[in-house]
Amino acid sequence: MRISSKLLGLTLLLVGSVQPVFAQLNVFACEPEYQSLINELAPEAKVYSATTALQDPHMIQARPSLIAKLRRADLLVCAGAELEVGWLPMLQMKAANSAVRNANTGLFFAADHIETLDKLERVDRSMGDVHAQGNPHIQFDPYRLLKVADALHQRLIKLDPEQKAEYQRNFEAFKQRWTQAIKSWEQKAVSLKGKQVIAYHTSFRYLFNWLGIKQVGDLEPKPGLPPSSSHLAGLLALAKQQPIDLIVQASYQDTKGSKWLASHTKLPMVVLPATVTREADSDSLFKLYDDVITKLLKAMN
Amino acid sequence: MKFSKSVLLASMLATPMFAAAKAPASSATNQLNISAVLNGYYQSEQKALSNREKGFGLGETELALSGNIDDAFYGKMTTVLVSDGSETEVELEEAFIQTMSLPAGFSIRGGRFLSDIGYLNSLHMHTDAFTDRPAVYRAFLGGHYFDDGLRLDYVAPTDLYWSMGVEALKGANMRAKNDEHKTKEVGIYTAYTKFGGDINDSSSWMMGLSYLNNQNGIAELHHEEDDDHGDEHKGEDKHSGHDHGAKYTGKNLYGVDAVYKWAPNGNFKYQHFTLSGEYFRMTDLFSADEHQHDLDDKSHQGWYVSGVYQWSPKWSTGLRYGRVDVQVAHEHEEDGKHEVELERQSLKETEFQISYHHSHFSTIRLQYTNQQGQESLKPTDEHSVTLQFIMTLGAHSAHQF
Repeated sequence: MRISSKLLGLTLLLVGSVQPVFAQLNVFACEPEYQSLINELAPEAKVYSATTALQDPHMIQARPSLIAKLRRADLLVCAGAELEVGWLPMLQMKAANSAVRNANTGLFFAADHIETLDKLERVDRSMGDVHAQGNPHIQFDPYRLLKVADALHQRLIKLDPEQKAEYQRNFEAFKQRWTQAIKSWEQKAVSLKGKQVIAYHTSFRYLFNWLGIKQVGDLEPKPGLPPSSSHLAGLLALAKQQPIDLIVQASYQDTKGSKWLASHTKLPMVVLPATVTREADSDSLFKLYDDVITKLLKAMN
Repeated sequence: MKFSKSVLLASMLATPMFAAAKAPASSATNQLNISAVLNGYYQSEQKALSNREKGFGLGETELALSGNIDDAFYGKMTTVLVSDGSETEVELEEAFIQTMSLPAGFSIRGGRFLSDIGYLNSLHMHTDAFTDRPAVYRAFLGGHYFDDGLRLDYVAPTDLYWSMGVEALKGANMRAKNDEHKTKEVGIYTAYTKFGGDINDSSSWMMGLSYLNNQNGIAELHHEEDDDHGDEHKGEDKHSGHDHGAKYTGKNLYGVDAVYKWAPNGNFKYQHFTLSGEYFRMTDLFSADEHQHDLDDKSHQGWYVSGVYQWSPKWSTGLRYGRVDVQVAHEHEEDGKHEVELERQSLKETEFQISYHHSHFSTIRLQYTNQQGQESLKPTDEHSVTLQFIMTLGAHSAHQF
């Protein structure tokens, strides 16, 4: 009898210790926008971003430092829709951390919680490096991002139920500030509506979709392929045929092609931060949106 | 036999279309990944320590299937087709399962897999920057060492990446020739550890130490009256087709490896540079009837250093220098006494390659190789040129560092 009660006690102790109780939630974000989102929703958490705004998230090395970071993560937050397919599966395998493998618990793909744009029925490599699951660069769609934030705060509650009230409070506060901000961004960007741009890749697909900007040309001949001289010549011809307001590219993309096109067309060119950066004017999601709209307006004038 | 192989292949090749058509649009878990690698070459000479014939040929043409079996297991199968003259062989290079939900950073892999010793060995050949593995790999590990066995791996919960593991493997291809009468069924035991981290946003590094114990690796010299080259056995039978056997064996193999990668701001899209090097030393090579002290301290060794620079998304170039030094035994009867003489032979290899990558998935490579070798390590010509293509189809495979 005494033995069994001891055993029971021990079992309870063990079961108790299995329950995830986080002194500090350890989050591995694939991209800085999700690091920033976690900072809003769980300011106490320790967040690490695997990439920076100067790195193409398609082409990351499954390097040792990332394995070590993922080994100790409680939650993995990524864009999904195959953006990280070239390196994340290898990281997951090497990190041997079962906590971040289940898409219902420690693994969170933002694209799973929204409708992506440009889903494809059929994918063929001759089309370039395209994603069947749609465009994964959702960081510049404030409405979709709010949906992601909602799903993410619920995930945080699921993983760390003790802090439920706090996560809810943080999300509500974020939602309010974000909704306010959307209004002011939309007002500020109203003159951008209907503008026609040539951009690099589909990096800003959601931004253009939101603000009513039309991307009439792509500096990449096919997704993932760098601008070739014949393709640039084609864009030059395009710029002569129809009015184009701006050439846009992201911070991690090579400026050679855009510069060439800008000098030959006399069009303005702008390099936008691809995501949240370490610079003071775009080191959070709020500042990033401000910065991008300001830069677009400035370049148009 | 040939018919069944082609049926197998046909059914495997048909699967991708079927899978692509049915693949549900959800995140990249729970699906079967199918990928194929096409690899063809033209080589101007027969190189030393190489199975590749001169002229046109096909390299390792792969078909790989992989995926999560359930939440606890991952599985992968890689079939390699090797065309050698008129013969086409089907070979199973990988067929393993790996645990994915063991706690505390542990994982177990079982079946047939690439050993995790050294830096290059666990990498797939189609990701290599040169047309062949370095001479030291071809001499000691049969190009790349895969085998049937079991691995236990552990990743430490440290800021610095630190992993370690042990493997037990069959070792059938790593046996010394004249050891058959007391062959151990589990012939190979390995242990390895790897460390790595970032220096800054642009640079990262990894280092590894490995040890391989080959229970059947010691060559016995006294049974070999009719063979004056005691150790170079498997390498000689070039006509036996594709051969993965180690050409030189010994009881202990010690290795140290290091790799450094650089890309501006860590952005690998446009430019990157990789510097890597490995050193291997093999000891306890021979045993003889009478104890011969001069055999004890003899060792084989080899190393290479390689630098590869991708200066634009479409072009990369690489330079590699490596060498192997091996002990070759000559036996003869002198005054009724059995005598063994060891002679040191070496092969020095300098290679330069330039590659065109139309996309991330296709590579065309031109390589110049200069080989300086003696006797059994002599190529048909010092200078050789190889033109190679490597293309991948199907699932986007994730690559190791």
